[in-house]
Amino acid sequence: MKHVIIGVGAAGIVAANTISKHRPNDQIVMISADDAVYSRCMLHKYIGGGRSVEALSFVSPNFFEARNIVWRKGISVTGIDTAAKTVSFDGGTETYDKLLIATGAKSALPPIEGVKDCSGVYGLRDLADATAIRDKAAGAEKIVIVGAGLVGLDAAYGLIEMGKKPMVIDMAKSVLSANLDERAAEVYQTKFEEAGCVFRFESKVSKVRSDGAGNLSCMILGSGEEIPCDLLIIAVGINPESKLLPGKPDKYLKVGDDSVFAAGDATGLSSSWPSAMEQGEVAALNMCGIETVYEECLAQRNTVNFFGIASVSVGRFLATDGDTLDVRVDKGRYQKIVINDGVPAGVILQGDISRCGFWQYLIRNNVNIEKIPRSVWKVSFADAYGLNQDGEYEWVK
Amino acid sequence: MRRILIDSEKCLGCKNCSIACMQSHRGEDGVAGLNLSSQELESRNTVLMNSKKQYKPLFCRHCSKPGCAKSCMSGAMVKNPETGLVEYDYEKCAACFMCVMNCPFGVLKPDRASGTYVVKCDFCADKGSNPECVKNCPTGAIKVEEVTTV
Repeated sequence: MKHVIIGVGAAGIVAANTISKHRPNDQIVMISADDAVYSRCMLHKYIGGGRSVEALSFVSPNFFEARNIVWRKGISVTGIDTAAKTVSFDGGTETYDKLLIATGAKSALPPIEGVKDCSGVYGLRDLADATAIRDKAAGAEKIVIVGAGLVGLDAAYGLIEMGKKPMVIDMAKSVLSANLDERAAEVYQTKFEEAGCVFRFESKVSKVRSDGAGNLSCMILGSGEEIPCDLLIIAVGINPESKLLPGKPDKYLKVGDDSVFAAGDATGLSSSWPSAMEQGEVAALNMCGIETVYEECLAQRNTVNFFGIASVSVGRFLATDGDTLDVRVDKGRYQKIVINDGVPAGVILQGDISRCGFWQYLIRNNVNIEKIPRSVWKVSFADAYGLNQDGEYEWVK
Repeated sequence: MRRILIDSEKCLGCKNCSIACMQSHRGEDGVAGLNLSSQELESRNTVLMNSKKQYKPLFCRHCSKPGCAKSCMSGAMVKNPETGLVEYDYEKCAACFMCVMNCPFGVLKPDRASGTYVVKCDFCADKGSNPECVKNCPTGAIKVEEVTTV
C-alpha cells in the first residue's frame, strides 16, 4: 500500500507517524511546498531571534529516515486525479493508493484598497512570511499589525524582541477578544504597551498607499486618519487551503472516494494545533483500514503566554442570563468560571494555570459539578477519581 | 509498559512521594539538604483530597493516549513507543502550556519559579529501576508494574 500525504504541518506529520506505526511495511511519500518542517506557533520566536529554523521543528532530525518516508519538498501540488489515483505538480506526478490532503491554510486578506499593488504587506503563516517580516522589520520603524488576536500579538512580541515598537489595530475593543474577556485582556495590553506597543481598537484599515516605487508608505484607517507605515502585517485569520479537496470531510475525514482523506486546517473543521494533530491521526487510521470516527471539538480553547503571564481559556467565558459566575482575584491571579445549570460552560484562568487541565474535560463533556459538596475552587479530578485495570486514570460518572 | 499503579485506599496523605520526587530532581544526594519550601524545586506528583476527605494521589499516568503530547506544538512532549513513557524535552519546549490545558486529569503545571517549563514526571529516568516516589511510599499505595497497554 502506498500512502501519499500532501503537507508537512501538524496534521501531515502526525498522519505519517501514525501510518508508519500501524503499517510499518507500507510506503509513505510526503509532498510539501514547505522545504522545512516547522511549528507555525513558534514563528514569532524566529522573528524575535530566540530560535533558529532548526529549533522551530517539532520532529526529530531523522523523522523521515527513521520511517523510510520519501519526502518531496518544495513542491506545490496542482491537481488530483481520483480516477487515475495520481497527484500532479509542476514537473511530475505521483501515484497513490491512499491520499491525505493536509495543505493547511493561507492568511486571510481583508478587503484593503491598494494592498495588492504595493510591497511591504505580509501575513504571518509560513516560514517565508516570518523571514520576510524579520528582514523587512530590521530596517523599518513604522510597523503596523492588523489583528490583535494570538497571531497578531505573536508578531508584536517577536518585533518587540527585535527592539521595534509596532502599532496594533483591531476592530474589537480589546486584545485577544476571541480568547479572553476584557479584564484578562487588559493585563496583556498593559504589558505590551509598557514594552512600547501602541493599540488602536474599534478601528480598521481601509486603504494603503505606496510611494512612487511601489513600496508601502502609509495606511488609512476607516476614520480617514492617515498613519505612515513601512511594514504592514495582516493577522485577521485564515482561509483553508481547500482547493484540492474533492468534497467536504465526512466523519472518517474522507473527502471523496474511499481513497482520499483530509486533515488539519484544509478541512475547514475546528482549527488549532491539537485539532490538526487529532485529525491527522484519525485520517491516518482510516487510511490504514482501522475505522475511526473523528469527533469535532466545538469548545473554544487556547492558552496565552506573554511576558511570563500564562492564561488558559476554554469554552464560553462570557456569562449570559441564567449563568452562575464565580470569580476569584488576588495577587497576579484572575480566575473565572461560568456555570450553566450545574455544568461548567467556560473558564478563564490567568496568572495561575497550575494543574488546571481537568476544566477542559469538565467543559467538553458537560459534567455536572453541582452535586459535589465543596466550593467550585476546590473541585478537581479527585472528586471523580477512577483507575482502569492498566492503571490509567478515568473519570467516574 | 511499566506504570506506577495506585491503590488510593492505602494512601495516608503523608506526601513522602512528593518529598522523594523533589529530592530526586534536586541534583544533589541526601535529603538533609532538601529545602521543602524551595520555589525552584517542585514535586511532579501531589496528593489531592476529595470532598469525602479521602486522599487521591495525582501522578502522571504516561497515558496510552496522552492529551499532553497530542497537543504539543514544539515536539517537546512525546510518547516513547518503546518504553511507553511520555518524555519531556526542556530544550524544545516553547512554554505554550497547551499540555497543561489538555491533561484531562490536571496533573501538569508550569514551574512556579520561572514559568518557562512544565513540571513533568520522568519516571526518575536516571535513578535506576523504580521511581523514587515508589521506593519511598510507606504503605504500598504506589507500586510499579508491567501493564499490557503502551
